[in-house]
Amino acid sequence: MEGLSLPEAEAVIARARSGDPTALEALYRAYSTPVYQLARRICRTTEDAEDVLQETFFEVCRSIRNYRGDGSLWGWIRTVASSKALMRLRRNKYRDTDDLDDELAPGRSGSSVALRMDLESALVRLSDTARAVVWLHDVEGYTHEEIASQMGKTVSFSKSQLARAHARLRTWLGEEVLAS
Amino acid sequence: MTNPHLDMEQLLAVRDGDRSEPRYAEGFVHLAGCPFCQAEVERLHQRTARLRALPQLAPDRDRFSTVRARLDVERKHRHWRNGVVVGLAAAAAVVLIVGHDMMHPADLDAEQQLQSAVAQSQQLEQTLHQWHPDQRVVDGHTAAVVAELENRIAQLDAQIDDAARLQTSDRLPREVALWQQRVGLMNALIDVHLTKAGNVGL
Repeated sequence: MEGLSLPEAEAVIARARSGDPTALEALYRAYSTPVYQLARRICRTTEDAEDVLQETFFEVCRSIRNYRGDGSLWGWIRTVASSKALMRLRRNKYRDTDDLDDELAPGRSGSSVALRMDLESALVRLSDTARAVVWLHDVEGYTHEEIASQMGKTVSFSKSQLARAHARLRTWLGEEVLAS
Repeated sequence: MTNPHLDMEQLLAVRDGDRSEPRYAEGFVHLAGCPFCQAEVERLHQRTARLRALPQLAPDRDRFSTVRARLDVERKHRHWRNGVVVGLAAAAAVVLIVGHDMMHPADLDAEQQLQSAVAQSQQLEQTLHQWHPDQRVVDGHTAAVVAELENRIAQLDAQIDDAARLQTSDRLPREVALWQQRVGLMNALIDVHLTKAGNVGL
């Protein structure tokens, strides 16, 4: 997701570094939606996602002079955003277990196909950690090493959380096929 | 009886071409001859594609005005604090120079302590300034700790300002105590910046 083309980004960064407030606002306008999307998919509530959005841009505006430009602007902003979102999860510690046990989940034997969850609902019902890992890895494209580093965990933790998330999603979405 | 098919970690390793996974090679070989696991990998691809295609969520409210207001407050606070520190240090120096000849012997020790605390505080301010803390990305917890320490330093500066105007005999020991507290807080602030700050993505 790139909100600005490379020449546009370079021009905005140069203006922002010189303290031009309109450049900071331009950064916000270009990237607030993808930052919010990432925050909302990771965080439990809209309030938390909005706080992450605000914290991210506060940090971006304070630190823009230190951005060296050796990665994409969106890559840098996204890393700040995911760091803030994961911090919010750690601080709130909403839930570390999935909402639904496998036994109760739709898609198990006896459940109606009509009761299958849609993907959006299933994603929300994952544990906070599993949801964050599946989003950061499969959607945002972070490696397990990068996720582990951001979460302060091991690479194998990130991998096992991703596997756990997909196993849960497979069941809840009714995609489980009995092996022959 | 063990499951003859790949488990989810192996399926993901094969999907992602993750050769660092110890069971990748075994999974890769198995997959070539197993239609069931091939279908599982295909479902993984499809699920990921559906995740990526979920609707874009946009914030209900524009938060930029709040961000800008916070930046303004921080900028003013920083300027005010820097001005106060320079002013207080200058005032303390004047008091030390002018008052030196009028002091009792017991005050000379306090005078030296005050001089030392002011110098230490200035040195720490300089160290912090060189670290460029306002240009570094820190995590939320560190930012909260930094904000709390900065607020306490600002409160202490106000107390130092009041103490410098005292006409009573306890002015000097009070100033010493406050400046020493300031040195302690400055040390804590630098510790937090140096040990906790992370150059996220920088």
